[in-house]
Amino acid sequence: MKTTRAIDTFVEETGGWVASQLEACTRCGICAEACHFYQATGNPDFAPVWKVELLKRAYEQEFTLGGKLRTMLHLQKKVDEADLEAWSKLVYEACTVCNKCAMVCPMGIQLGPIIHDVRAGLAEAGMVPDDLAAAVNKQIEEGSPLGVTDDVFESRLEWIADDWEIDLPVDKEGADTLVIFSSIEIMKFPDNLAHIASILNAAGENWTLSSKAREVVNFGFYEGSADHTRLLLSRVFDGAVELGVKKIVVTECGHAYDALRWTAPNLMDVPDIEITHIAAVLGEYVESGRITLKAGAYDGDGKITFHDACKIQRRGGHIEEPRKLLSILAPESFTEMTPNREQAICCGGGGGVIAIKEADPIRYKAFELKIAQAEAVGAETVVMACSNCRLQFLDGAEHFDWDMKFRGLAEMVAEAME
Amino acid sequence: MDWNATLEFARGPFFTAALFVFVGGLTYRLVRVLTLGWSRDRVPSAGSKAGGVAKSYGKGLIIWPFVPWVKQTFAGNAVTLIAGGIFHLGLFAIIIFGAPHMLAWKSMLGFGWPTLPLPIIDWLAAAAIAAMVALAINRVANPLLRKLSGPAEALNWLFVFLPMLTGYMTTHHLLFRYEVIYSLHVLAVDVMLIWIPFSRISHFVFYFFSRTIHGAQFGKRAVTP
Repeated sequence: MKTTRAIDTFVEETGGWVASQLEACTRCGICAEACHFYQATGNPDFAPVWKVELLKRAYEQEFTLGGKLRTMLHLQKKVDEADLEAWSKLVYEACTVCNKCAMVCPMGIQLGPIIHDVRAGLAEAGMVPDDLAAAVNKQIEEGSPLGVTDDVFESRLEWIADDWEIDLPVDKEGADTLVIFSSIEIMKFPDNLAHIASILNAAGENWTLSSKAREVVNFGFYEGSADHTRLLLSRVFDGAVELGVKKIVVTECGHAYDALRWTAPNLMDVPDIEITHIAAVLGEYVESGRITLKAGAYDGDGKITFHDACKIQRRGGHIEEPRKLLSILAPESFTEMTPNREQAICCGGGGGVIAIKEADPIRYKAFELKIAQAEAVGAETVVMACSNCRLQFLDGAEHFDWDMKFRGLAEMVAEAME
Repeated sequence: MDWNATLEFARGPFFTAALFVFVGGLTYRLVRVLTLGWSRDRVPSAGSKAGGVAKSYGKGLIIWPFVPWVKQTFAGNAVTLIAGGIFHLGLFAIIIFGAPHMLAWKSMLGFGWPTLPLPIIDWLAAAAIAAMVALAINRVANPLLRKLSGPAEALNWLFVFLPMLTGYMTTHHLLFRYEVIYSLHVLAVDVMLIWIPFSRISHFVFYFFSRTIHGAQFGKRAVTP
């Protein structure tokens, strides 16, 4: 039964970490103000505290005397399938798991990870929205949610190498660094591959791509299923171990970085390989002088601002590197949006939301906040280090007919190398 | 009715029983959470977990409206933050630094400490009571808070409000004879103590879990919590 499966997963996920935080909640509602979906719509259902209500109820009914008593006396309804359906919409379509809510909670409750646990239960119960479930299956079966099969991978790389006249090593024996792109980059931003390759080559990095670990995106992680997440992570790790690399570089994909760098060791045994993000690599190359950038390369072309991706900056830790780069590339025209850094507002398309057609109306609604933020500082270009964010910006701009330029951080660095 | 006997009961056996429920109940809840299992965090840190925890507690106290990262949150929750802040400040100042409360603590702990002058305590009490009224109105008026509130929230409010109201009335000899209102005050405190383990007022215990986890998780990623 669906409900039992969901509750069993909740019980499994609800260790002391989650329980102690659920117990700390005072239901003050302050978290709502941090949520871009709530801010954009004013719908109380979208308050982060309400999104974890399902897990809270299940926890009370399974673990606490009060909860058991209330259910027995019919003061509280037992979690049922209708609840699962309702919450599926809330946690998959109206949440990007950006964890901004944790920044404002007076108790400091880590709402993002707890909402991920709600997703975990719903995934086990088979209550994942159809579009997302289809993408998960596609990735499991074909190796990529965007159809990057072995053949497509090979032909895309060949085409990129030809078109940009760039060396793209695949399965190179003895390489130190494995670079894994997301299929969004391979299919929609192929220039990102060329740009990142040119930077790595210029820095003299001994790097390679892998035909086995060729997809960094992890739709199992979006969905919340621990088994699927592990399966997709193991493809990446297996490919890396086979090549014997010392380091994995995740390119411009936030959720993948969260899964690999900050989640994998708690889900499975992971090989002893350093995992880092391309934003950190770029920062390090410039700092150590492995590449030099033309100072002020982008000044004089209108104001440039930086969009912090929730999984690369707030949840990833690479907040300062992009700023250091931009302060070299555009010392005069770089300007910060408010709020920024770890307090930044999410683009609204992360966490798998952009893959769910049904979520489009609220996704666009949430994006309006981003438009307002960029316009408030008079920006003409928005830079970001996440291709999923970039997809949301491009789609949002088209939807609203918004005149704005969007650029990837790696692309800007590549074009300003001396 | 023999109010002196009531007072003796409220301060004596009933208080002891209430204290027993309070301590026993909270201990039970704490033990229950502690024994749920704590998987080790095996993710290698990029920053300092301890540093994150320290910052997390520091930032938890800095909730003034002029602080840049609070501004936006504040704009949307002015009543909750202002009234909530005044309520907590008043509550703790009074139960620790109010002279009669210090004496009550002294009789239990065996030692005392300097107290605040009555006029200050009195204003803090009035402000805290007004703040509670504001919080109640806000809870009913705000659609989200209404959604989050049920009988438990109403009882939380009531069982905290009654000791505060009766305490204020005791100091000012309002409406009732002294021994009557004083008895009611002590009874209200007893009832509150009994209610706390069954309620979310217990957040003062679990606050230390969530704040610590928050700080450690952000510190681990080298991000300011």
